[in-house]
Amino acid sequence: MTIVAEPTPAPAPVAEPLAPAVPVQVPRTHHRFTAAEYQRLGEVGIIGEEDRVELIDGEILDMGDIGHRHAAQVNRLNRVLVQNSEETMGVSVQNPLQLGERYQPQPDLMLLRARADDYASALPTAADVLLLIEVADSSLDYDQRIKLAVYARAGVTEVWIVNLDADQVEIYTQPQEAAYTTTRVARRGETVQIGALPAVMLPVTTILL
Amino acid sequence: MTTVAEPTPAPAPVAEPPAPAVPVQVPRTHHRFTAAEYNRLGEVRIIGEDDRVELIDGEILDMCAIGYRHAAQVTELTTLLVRNSVGEMRVSVQNPLNLGERYQPQPDLMLLRERTDRYKAALPTAEDVLLLIEVADSSLDYDQHTKLPMYARAGIAEVWIVNLDADQVEIHTQPQEAAYTTTRVARRGETVQIGALPAVTLPVATILL
Repeated sequence: MTIVAEPTPAPAPVAEPLAPAVPVQVPRTHHRFTAAEYQRLGEVGIIGEEDRVELIDGEILDMGDIGHRHAAQVNRLNRVLVQNSEETMGVSVQNPLQLGERYQPQPDLMLLRARADDYASALPTAADVLLLIEVADSSLDYDQRIKLAVYARAGVTEVWIVNLDADQVEIYTQPQEAAYTTTRVARRGETVQIGALPAVMLPVTTILL
Repeated sequence: MTTVAEPTPAPAPVAEPPAPAVPVQVPRTHHRFTAAEYNRLGEVRIIGEDDRVELIDGEILDMCAIGYRHAAQVTELTTLLVRNSVGEMRVSVQNPLNLGERYQPQPDLMLLRERTDRYKAALPTAEDVLLLIEVADSSLDYDQHTKLPMYARAGIAEVWIVNLDADQVEIHTQPQEAAYTTTRVARRGETVQIGALPAVTLPVATILL
C-alpha cells in the first residue's frame, strides 16, 4: 500500500505520469440534433429568437455577433436585391434555410423564387434559392470552407461571398458534389449579374459598401 | 469583367486563392445550454433516456457506447459499493450530477450521502458525493484531463478512476482549485479505503475485474 500523502500545490504529483505528453485527444463528440428536434428547441423556447444559431451537420453552432460593417453590408445587399428582383421573388435576410435532416443554416441573404404559399407553410429549401449571399468578415474561412461545401452539396445554384476584407465579391456557380466548379472574383470597376436576373447588370461598386 | 467560365472538376479554380493555406480556423462555437435548458430538453423529449449525453461547460456531449468490459466493471463496482455502504447512503449508477449552471455530467458511479428527500426533490450536487468513480477505457484521456479538473473545481472530495488498460485504481483526493493535490495509484496486491467509509478496507483485487 503506497500512499502519496503529502498535500502539495496543483498540479498533482503522481507515482507515474498518468497524462501522456501529447495534446489531449478528446474522444467526445457533440450531440447531434435532427432538423425536427432543432425546430422543437425553438418552439419550446429553449432556443429563442435572440439566439443566433445554425444547425450544421446536426450540431448547433452559435453564429458570431453581427458587427456594424457586416450589418451595413447586409442592409446594402438587401436594398440591391429588393430593388432589382421581380415582384414575386422573396428576399430573405438572416433567416433559416432547410437543407435536409441535419442542416439548417441561416444565410445572410437569399433571393427566393416565387412560391404559391409565400413561404408561410415551410422554410425554403435549396430548390427555392435563386441566389444565396454570405457577408464574410471574421467568418470568411468558415464561409469558404464549410458553408460553401454545404451549399454546393445541397445544389444551391449560385452563392456569393461578399469578402469585406478583400473588398471583393466572390461568385460561385455550377455546384458539383461538395464544390462549385466555377468561381469568379469581381472587384470595383467590374459589373456582375445574378443568374436568375439576366437582365440586370450590377456594378460591383453599388454592391460593396 | 474577368470571367473564369470553364467548368472543371472540384475543387474550384479561382483567380486568386481566397482560402489561406493554413489549417481551418473555424470561428464557430457550439451553442451552450444552461442546466435548466438541458433538463427541459429531456422533459420535452428532444433528448431521450436512450441518449447518453452529458452537459459539460454548457455543451451537450455524446458519451461513448458502453463496451462489455466497461459495463462489467461498473456492475462489479455497483455491488461493491452497495455491500459496503452504510445507513441511508445511496449508490447512483450512470445518473446525472448537478454541478452548477453549465455542468451536468453523468459519472459512472457515485456513493451519495444520506439525504432526507432520498434525492426525489433534486439531483445530487457536489457536496452530496462521498465518492465518485469513473471507469476509463477509451475515455481515459477525457476523464483525466477534463473530468478530473471539473470535479476538483466543484469540490468533490474523492474521485477514483478505474483505469482498465493499466489495471489499476487511481485515487484522487484533496481538491484544490482545478486539481486534486493527492493522488494514489493502487494495484492488485494492495488495499484501498474510501474516505467516507473508514472502517472498510478493500483489496484492489476485489475491485478490478
